Amino acid sequence: MRLSSARLALLYTALVTLLTGVLLVSVYLLTRSALEREIAAVVRAEVEDLADDLRLGGLDRLVATLNLRSDSWGRTGAVFLLADSNFRHVAGNLTEWPRDIPATPAAMVEFEIIARERDLRVLHPVEARIERLSNGYWLLVGADTSERQNVLRRFGLATLWGVALTALCVWLLGAAYARRTARRVRGYADTCESIIQGDLTQRLHVDGSGDEFDALAAAVNGMLDRIEQQTTTLRAAFDSIAHDLRTPLYRLRMRLEEAQLRNSGDAEPSRETLEIIGPALEELDRVQRTLATLLAIARAEAQGVTTHADRVDFAALTANLVELYAPGMRAAGLDVACDAAASATLTGNRQLLAQLITNLLENALKYVPSGGQVRVRVASSPQSIELTVADNGPGIAAEDRAAALQPFVRVGDSSRTSGSGLGLSLAAAVARLHRARLTLGDNAPGLIVRVEFPTDTRS
Amino acid sequence: MHLLLIEDDAEAARFLAKGLRESGYVVDIAADGREGLFRATEGTYDLIVADRQLPHFDGLSIVAMLRRNGRHTPVLILSALGSVDDRIEGLRAGGDDYLTKPFAFGELLARIEALLRRGNQPEVTTRIKIADLELDLLGRKVSRAGKAIDVTSKEFQLLEFLARRVGQVVTRTMLLEAVWDLHFDPQTNVIDVHVSRLRAAIDKGFERPLLHTVRGAGYVLRDAS
Repeated sequence: MRLSSARLALLYTALVTLLTGVLLVSVYLLTRSALEREIAAVVRAEVEDLADDLRLGGLDRLVATLNLRSDSWGRTGAVFLLADSNFRHVAGNLTEWPRDIPATPAAMVEFEIIARERDLRVLHPVEARIERLSNGYWLLVGADTSERQNVLRRFGLATLWGVALTALCVWLLGAAYARRTARRVRGYADTCESIIQGDLTQRLHVDGSGDEFDALAAAVNGMLDRIEQQTTTLRAAFDSIAHDLRTPLYRLRMRLEEAQLRNSGDAEPSRETLEIIGPALEELDRVQRTLATLLAIARAEAQGVTTHADRVDFAALTANLVELYAPGMRAAGLDVACDAAASATLTGNRQLLAQLITNLLENALKYVPSGGQVRVRVASSPQSIELTVADNGPGIAAEDRAAALQPFVRVGDSSRTSGSGLGLSLAAAVARLHRARLTLGDNAPGLIVRVEFPTDTRS
Repeated sequence: MHLLLIEDDAEAARFLAKGLRESGYVVDIAADGREGLFRATEGTYDLIVADRQLPHFDGLSIVAMLRRNGRHTPVLILSALGSVDDRIEGLRAGGDDYLTKPFAFGELLARIEALLRRGNQPEVTTRIKIADLELDLLGRKVSRAGKAIDVTSKEFQLLEFLARRVGQVVTRTMLLEAVWDLHFDPQTNVIDVHVSRLRAAIDKGFERPLLHTVRGAGYVLRDAS
């Protein structure tokens, strides 16, 4: 899972590193140029002093000054050379005019000198200014820049370290923040998942900091409160509907049973019982079943979550129910087989799942003519458990399939078959409740019903 | 046998009481939850039939209170609320059985009988013998007049259920619940085919039929002679 907060942290790190880098490098460059200018200024001042000496006291005075200054090589790193017009040494601590430097007056040059340091001959870099004196002689005044270069090198290293450390710190902080954010968001996702799985009482965690996450959590919690309240209201409504519809049915049944008892008791059933009361009771049972199914569908849809859920071996349940229906189906001339050997466990409401399976089996029993074939299969894979009920009966035409899943729609000649037309819609509702997909297809010929249940991603 | 019926619907109460009295029970009626609780705690009844939705105290609270006071009188709960969750709630509260309205009177009778007999039966563990029919419960085998009979595992479970309630009427719903753990009403009477096959296995070719159909109610395993 690509987190945008991780990407944000990375971007932030890159930007800060870039800016810090630019800043530090600028400081480095400024420092370097400042040092360069300083040396240049000092050297120029020195040259002017010496030129004054020449003007005021002539060559001798200049030479004397130079001899004095040359002694201070060890302390200041100053380099002096007075050369004649043929560049031959006259005075100064530099032994000869450096090779390979342009003979342009008033210019800054760079070269290396070999200095003796404690019996070691070491190369030193020098920056110097060359002057053509009024008498044709050449003057070179310079400074040892090895110190300066050391400083700069160290400064440069510090700069690099600074940039690297900044990058590291920003990255660590950014990553920590990103992880914290991600954990918070993932916590919300987990809570929502468990709400979807069934626990409507869960709420998103509010840590009291009042930040935007808290605001989001509070809003979602408000929504959940509302849903919970509506569910409770709906459930109460269903209970009272159940009561209000069932009580008259109950009274009706009682009266019919009373009439039945009055007419026959234990003896042979009377004509009235057979022709009127018996069929009336059957119709009543039919109404009662329709009502029960409608209420079951409504509850399944309204709940949105399964209140009572167990670990159900779906394969065993299917095999069990096929075994219940098999003799009846065979008696109706159907060839029925079931392939549900391997255990396939999912979390759900066992009775509702049983109703789903029996509805599909009952439809097969109802619609497939004698001589037909019914195949039931439960297949399980790591991601899903799939139930298929396939027959080679009349099937459902493609244009009728969507409608067939709606309540009270019956495909084909509805007068021929008993039932309320709710079987498939209850199956569809139970599938939805278990986050499964129910599809109708062409078994070429016949109908194939597929119900695909996702297996738990976490147990 | 002395029964207490707690039902606020006067007409339903009248009908049920009449039917139960005609079946040989002595019936007291309580018209609301308060009276029901009072009578249940004061009197000694063999079984209580309680409607769930009552004025003052609902049926489940009555059962819960009875159980808390150590009363183990069997209670059969009647209710218009028939979802699986409602049923589970009813049984968890302490009820022994749960019937959804509307139900056939025969169903109610059969279940009352089953609850009453339940307490009196000794623990049958190994063999059941009815006339010349013998069930080996450990070996899961059936024989009649010494001859072994071939039945499927489910047919054996059906037979065992009937045999443990020999002489009592067993309804289709009870069979579906006990042998297939189904708590709803399937449309077709698929269970009839199973019972017919069982009957063919144990009665065909033998002198005395043992597995009888009780019209309008269910089945009974009994030696009629």
